[in-house]
Amino acid sequence: MSEEKRKLVLEGKSLSKTFRLGDGSIEVLSKADIALKEASSMSIRGDSGCGKTTLLNLLARLEDADEGTIGWGGHEIDASATPSSSEAVMRARFIGVVYQAYYLIPELNVLENVLMAARLAGGVGSESVERARSLLSKMGVGDKEKQAPAKLSGGERQRVAIARALVNGPRVLLADEPTGNLDERTGGQVMDLLLDACSEQGTGLILVTHNPIFAQAADVRLFLRQGKLTKDFDEGTTKWSRPRFCGYHYPGYR
Amino acid sequence: MRIPWPLYLAWKQLFPSQRKISFFSMLAIIGVALGVNVMIVVIAFMQGFQQKFRKDIINAQGHARAISLRSSSDWRQLPPRILEQPAIEAVTPFLQGQLLIQSGAYKSIPFALGLRPEDGDGVLPLGDFLDRGMLRLQAHDGEDVTPLPTVDTLDDGSVFVSSQVASRLGVRPPAAVRFYEENATRSDRGERGDLRVLRLDPYVESGEWEIQADENGSILVSESISGDVFPWDPTRGPFDLGFGYPVFEITGKEVSLDPGERILFHVFRASTIEVFSPNMIEKAKADEMVPPKEVRVGGIFEVPWQGFQMEALIGTMRFMEDTRGEEGACDGFYLRFEDSVARNEGRLEDACRELEVMLEEDWAVVPWFVENAWFFELLKFEEYLMVLIMVPIGLVAAFAIAIALMTTVLRKIREIGLLSAMGGRRFSVGMVFCLQGFIIGTVGAILGCGLAILFIRYRDVLMTFIVENIAGADGHAGVAQFYDFNSLEVPFPWESNESLSVFLSFALFSILVSTFAGLLPAWRASRLNPAEALRSE
Repeated sequence: MSEEKRKLVLEGKSLSKTFRLGDGSIEVLSKADIALKEASSMSIRGDSGCGKTTLLNLLARLEDADEGTIGWGGHEIDASATPSSSEAVMRARFIGVVYQAYYLIPELNVLENVLMAARLAGGVGSESVERARSLLSKMGVGDKEKQAPAKLSGGERQRVAIARALVNGPRVLLADEPTGNLDERTGGQVMDLLLDACSEQGTGLILVTHNPIFAQAADVRLFLRQGKLTKDFDEGTTKWSRPRFCGYHYPGYR
Repeated sequence: MRIPWPLYLAWKQLFPSQRKISFFSMLAIIGVALGVNVMIVVIAFMQGFQQKFRKDIINAQGHARAISLRSSSDWRQLPPRILEQPAIEAVTPFLQGQLLIQSGAYKSIPFALGLRPEDGDGVLPLGDFLDRGMLRLQAHDGEDVTPLPTVDTLDDGSVFVSSQVASRLGVRPPAAVRFYEENATRSDRGERGDLRVLRLDPYVESGEWEIQADENGSILVSESISGDVFPWDPTRGPFDLGFGYPVFEITGKEVSLDPGERILFHVFRASTIEVFSPNMIEKAKADEMVPPKEVRVGGIFEVPWQGFQMEALIGTMRFMEDTRGEEGACDGFYLRFEDSVARNEGRLEDACRELEVMLEEDWAVVPWFVENAWFFELLKFEEYLMVLIMVPIGLVAAFAIAIALMTTVLRKIREIGLLSAMGGRRFSVGMVFCLQGFIIGTVGAILGCGLAILFIRYRDVLMTFIVENIAGADGHAGVAQFYDFNSLEVPFPWESNESLSVFLSFALFSILVSTFAGLLPAWRASRLNPAEALRSE
């Protein structure tokens, strides 16, 4: 799909957020604008505590902004309003989330964890079970669907978390440092899976990461500094043309 | 059917996929189950006691008593009129009073009740009372074969006394002991006939009775003290010389003894007691010589109802008329109603009122539950007290559940944030914890009800086991006699509405309390800001 034909799936306009700490305050976002198109990826880098996760939370409507608006597939939301129940229902289908710490539910097995997202989005039918199994196979953990999360390695857990984020076919996937807990090789594998799955499903991906190599793989690369989103990497830096992080394409890998 | 996700997750958190049950769930459910079990069992037993007392009171007093408010001599025409009432099954008149009785140096002032023996067990089950009061002699080479005294042996010269009176005065009814030859076996004789004492009336004298079959099989009955010998053909019926003699019969298919067989019985006469009435004492005060009335003890009875006088005596109406010196007197009637009326206190009260109207103002008809209202109020109070004591136990269990669920909320803060991030509404996220309380309460209640049914079903075995382990075998006999657990009728929930309501009430109570216990953790979980929850360490 050409860049021009891709529709805008997620948009944030003039997003501001200030945290009050005692007498002082920290402005983490200041009239930040962001726009994500379907089947495209966007990386956001920034120093620790600069507000990357807050930006993702605002976009997912997990917390309210001081000002600004958010668009979910054309549906405009006042970002300063308290998140509502109807938004939560909409979020279940529209947005998938992946976190650094996986957050798998320990009492459920792998398949049940993936299907939990489907349950939250309205219920589990044979179709969603099939889809969950197919995603798990694609993630390379298809043979572990009955296992407890505690018995999986970190990389396997993150694959399950990605499958869970994609099971409802969301239009946007928000990944908050998904490789933060993984070694470089496993992180590379997870990144491959994440990028592949998003491009196959036409899902827009926002990737928050500290890893410049992974960030470079995104179509749009942003850097968050002092509440402002700017273009990441120096002008003229070429984007990796569809790198493979596992194997010889990944420069950091030996 | 699609299960709402909060219910699914609540269930899974209690019963995870990898394990059958979590440790917390197991403890919480066992706690609730034990609480429900104890509450149901205690109240069911209390109701069993109430039921037992109710039955005992009715046995001791009938369903109602018609009490004469004015002395009347034409009471004899009343029983047929009373029996015309459709709800009334049986009626028996009575005379009552206090007597002084004496045997040797021992005295007692029992409550005396005069009844008509011909009325039999129609209203009061005197046969059962005599059975309960029956004492057995124990002998090394003999066996007490005294037949159970019957109401029809009661006459104007004999009385039945309560076991307390019997032990205070040291009196007993007539008794018969069968002696065995050395090395003789007491085994069941099977098809061959065996000899038994059929009747011992209160006027039987002490004696040694020998029954033997000669070589031809003819049977001779001899009394060794008097030297009397009587032939007996058992095929023509029992050996019965009339009042004052023991009656023997051969039981079994072969109504004969083996040639040469010899059977020895020792018969002991009944004790005699002297009876003084207030009337006699009044006469004695007026220097009128009135000798005490001597009567034989025909039997010992025991009334299961503790409210019945412990020291009591039952004689005939005429015996009471004599002692009171009032011929033709009647203090009232014991009444037995139809089962359908008797079971319903409202209907019984109405029936009593109708009878009162029929009998006019000379009579008051008092149903058993009015006469013993104080006692049932006391029992009811005790039941409420038990509930009051046990409810805090249930609340303590609820607090334990609330604390455990609260800890779970704190432990799962990031999971709670994730559920919100995945599209869970705050209310639904909170419901996960409330539903856990509900599930613990429901499963605990079901288990508790099951345990209670098992306890009720095997109560005798369990009580024996518990009491014997605490108090030993002797202690068990004492406890069993005092509390009479074994005769308690504790109905199952499918047998009585009252029992069903006890089961349902406590099950519902535990479900509600457990659900409420989950409310605070649920509120806490639903109040969590998902972004902050996800950030928490």
